[in-house]
Amino acid sequence: MRKFGMKRAIVGAAIAALALNAPAAHAASATGTATAKILRQITLTNISALQYATIISGASASTVAVSTAGVRTCGASLSCLGTATAASFNVDGTEGAVVLVGGDSSVSLAGSLGGTMTSSLTYSAANITLGATGGSFQVGGTLSVGANQAAGDYTGTFNVTADYQ
Amino acid sequence: MLRFFKGFGLLSVVLLGVVTVPVQAAGDLLVAPTRVVLDGSRGTEVVLNNIGAEPATYRISLEIKRMTAVGGLDEIAEENATPAERTALGMIAFSPRRVTLPPNQPQVIRVGVRIPEGTPPGEYRAHMLFRAVPDAAAAVAADAAKPAATGVSIALIPIYGITIPVIVRVGDLGAEAVIGDAWVAETPDGPAFNFGLTRTGNRSVYGDIEVTRPGANEPLLRARGIAVYPEVGAREVSLRVPPELAAKLKGPVRIRYTEDREVGGGTIDEAERVVK
Repeated sequence: MRKFGMKRAIVGAAIAALALNAPAAHAASATGTATAKILRQITLTNISALQYATIISGASASTVAVSTAGVRTCGASLSCLGTATAASFNVDGTEGAVVLVGGDSSVSLAGSLGGTMTSSLTYSAANITLGATGGSFQVGGTLSVGANQAAGDYTGTFNVTADYQ
Repeated sequence: MLRFFKGFGLLSVVLLGVVTVPVQAAGDLLVAPTRVVLDGSRGTEVVLNNIGAEPATYRISLEIKRMTAVGGLDEIAEENATPAERTALGMIAFSPRRVTLPPNQPQVIRVGVRIPEGTPPGEYRAHMLFRAVPDAAAAVAADAAKPAATGVSIALIPIYGITIPVIVRVGDLGAEAVIGDAWVAETPDGPAFNFGLTRTGNRSVYGDIEVTRPGANEPLLRARGIAVYPEVGAREVSLRVPPELAAKLKGPVRIRYTEDREVGGGTIDEAERVVK
């Protein structure tokens, strides 16, 4: 993990030097001064997906919640199988930088054999202050499952951004 | 025969639960720098890098965002934009707008600015969004042969990105900020250190915060990149802190708000506060 971080930082520096077209690179200087400007960077990495895993619907409508800590609460009349996880993102950048995080508050899902569902989304924080090893935030949600919800694979997409102010 | 199908159905439910777990979206990204300020005479460059393990297509766009009183950035639909916000979108040009990158391949995005004649002095701002375009293949095709008799499997795919502000300053602008009250409060996600920032003038203020106990050398808390944008006269800054730090922050402290180190690091405001 640490090794990857180093690699990224060096790559960033190399690009920065190229991108800024440093004047020293053109000067035919006998002393051979080298200049490089290191740009501040931000990275966003998706570590895990928001997974409700598999649900067997019941005779009455119910909900399944996955907390931002990844703990699943299976509503009455439903059976929940598999391993649930909260979505998790890593943010890396300047130590001490405050990054705003957030995104859609709900998402609709379409089933492969018809049917739709909606899920609300919750975020573990509105902003994070990056430490020496960056920071992270999680996305959980509550899925509304209809009575005898049509079986199938349900998919949906939702937007998440990390914003520098 | 019937028993066989029953068994198969049960098995497939379990399998679905296992098979659908790793929905890993491609699109991890790096953006540098994290803030762009232009005066209209020249443009700049922003670097986008694919730091994921798979090739990804990224789209680059400009968004309007407005700061809220609690320091969030609300996304504003283009039809609700003010004339000044529209002006900002019009004066910032960038290229390319879409790029496909193999892993670890950086791409330079050129950012130019053209200020139309007669533009009133002021600060014009848009937020540049870098985001991976989701894979078309991610959608699951209807497969009637799949015997998911009672099971419902769910895949939620995040489309994630980074925004950085692109600020254009027209004319001679100035701004000041004053630090308000400071307090520690409990939030659903743990304790937070809060304080107010009041801004005057015709541009944003931006800088770093340092909270120090009088007599101590090392700051208790350091937060970089705190802005107050022109659309708000005041904002609250709320920073989550570990419980042990929250306890330490209570009592007399010195709060210092300084300009970014890249523009000199001068003090914007400094205040002694007793944190409740």
